[in-house]
Amino acid sequence: MRQALLFIILLILLLVSVALQDLLPAIPIAQSRIQLLPIVFCFAMLALPLLPALYFALITALVQGLLVLQIQAGHSELGLTLPIVFFVSWAIVLQMSSEATHGMRWELHAAGCALVILTLLGGEFLVLCMKRGGFPLDVNIGLQILIPALAAPFIAPTLYFGLRGLVPFTPDAGPVASQPSFNR
Amino acid sequence: MKKLQIAALAVLVVAIVSFCLLEAGTLASLQSGLLGILSPITRSGGAVKKSISGIGKDLMTLEQLQKEYDRTLAENRRLRAENSGLRDLQTDNEHLRQVLGYRERSSFRLVPAAVLGHDAGAWWSTIKINRGSKDGIAADMPVITDRGLVGKTTAVSGDMSEVVLISDENCKVAAKVEGTKEQGISAGARDTAGELHLTFLSKLADLQPGQKVYTAGVSGGIFPSGLALGTVKSFHARELDGEAILEPTADLGDLEEVFVVTGAK
Repeated sequence: MRQALLFIILLILLLVSVALQDLLPAIPIAQSRIQLLPIVFCFAMLALPLLPALYFALITALVQGLLVLQIQAGHSELGLTLPIVFFVSWAIVLQMSSEATHGMRWELHAAGCALVILTLLGGEFLVLCMKRGGFPLDVNIGLQILIPALAAPFIAPTLYFGLRGLVPFTPDAGPVASQPSFNR
Repeated sequence: MKKLQIAALAVLVVAIVSFCLLEAGTLASLQSGLLGILSPITRSGGAVKKSISGIGKDLMTLEQLQKEYDRTLAENRRLRAENSGLRDLQTDNEHLRQVLGYRERSSFRLVPAAVLGHDAGAWWSTIKINRGSKDGIAADMPVITDRGLVGKTTAVSGDMSEVVLISDENCKVAAKVEGTKEQGISAGARDTAGELHLTFLSKLADLQPGQKVYTAGVSGGIFPSGLALGTVKSFHARELDGEAILEPTADLGDLEEVFVVTGAK
């Protein structure tokens, strides 16, 4: 029951983060945009058990995939396969990392967010280069990938502790966090 | 592992495979559905954002005066947007009508819309507007401001739509250069900040910085003829064609109000 409630709260936060990141102004440097969806995703991957985490990863992939979907001449440019592979892979990695570090940690969340954003934006760029041709990598594009990733560790702790407050039964809220356990 | 968990895992695998195999039409429907889900959140957020940014203005002016000012400003922009589209029709198209028997064109039917937010993605230039199918908006409708072309609608939900901007690599616009017979295809690029690339021009085209570029309005296309698109910044010949770099006429980075062209009057 608790897990279901946590799942629903995180799902709502995922949708709110999508709307919010569109409303936030661009960072002046290279007109980079703050990415909030990966921050909620990483939190969910650390807070949920494996199976719900995989379902959450699938939903995140659907949301992200549909957000960037562009239909060209009756064909979708990216489709949903790549986002699904990306987020499910990261779900497994974050779950394993969480187990290795004996539960949720804000440092792991912050580092995970940065890496997820870095690989998300970098991966999207590479896929577009393959699909559309050309490899226009320059300083501006590098900054557009790096700055959101570098900004994430500064935003993530705020959201981490905020979310933990909203969901008081998160794993590291009590003594369970200090014990190595697979039952988060 | 419990049977329930095995069943849940199997369902997950089936769901993943099913989503991977979806066709473009289904994906477009899903995208509209997602926009519909996000619409209340985005619209509420947009309203809060607007009210926060408007606090200073309200302190300085009377509310009634502000409303009147907004109304007049919107009307002024609408008229300027109409003029922008009519400018070219008054010259080139009158001649075309007489010579080729084109049906007489009139001004556009415009639906005003407020910009709710810009896409947070790094490689796509899209915005969301607060008008949808309930307001007569459909996919592939031109979106303009009083200064010129902005883009076209893509995904449309009941009361929110996504607009792909002309600075997006996938938004291709047939365009012609003022004062010349040069025509080409304009699109954005990943490596530039908001600039447009006008390609397929003649290698020998004599284009000068500052020359205006308008939509060409090709038959069967989305964009009507004569909408201001940009001004030439530079021109260079490539191996097979000429390419001009354009500065968009509309300020794509600071869009607040736009108009969707739903058809001719």
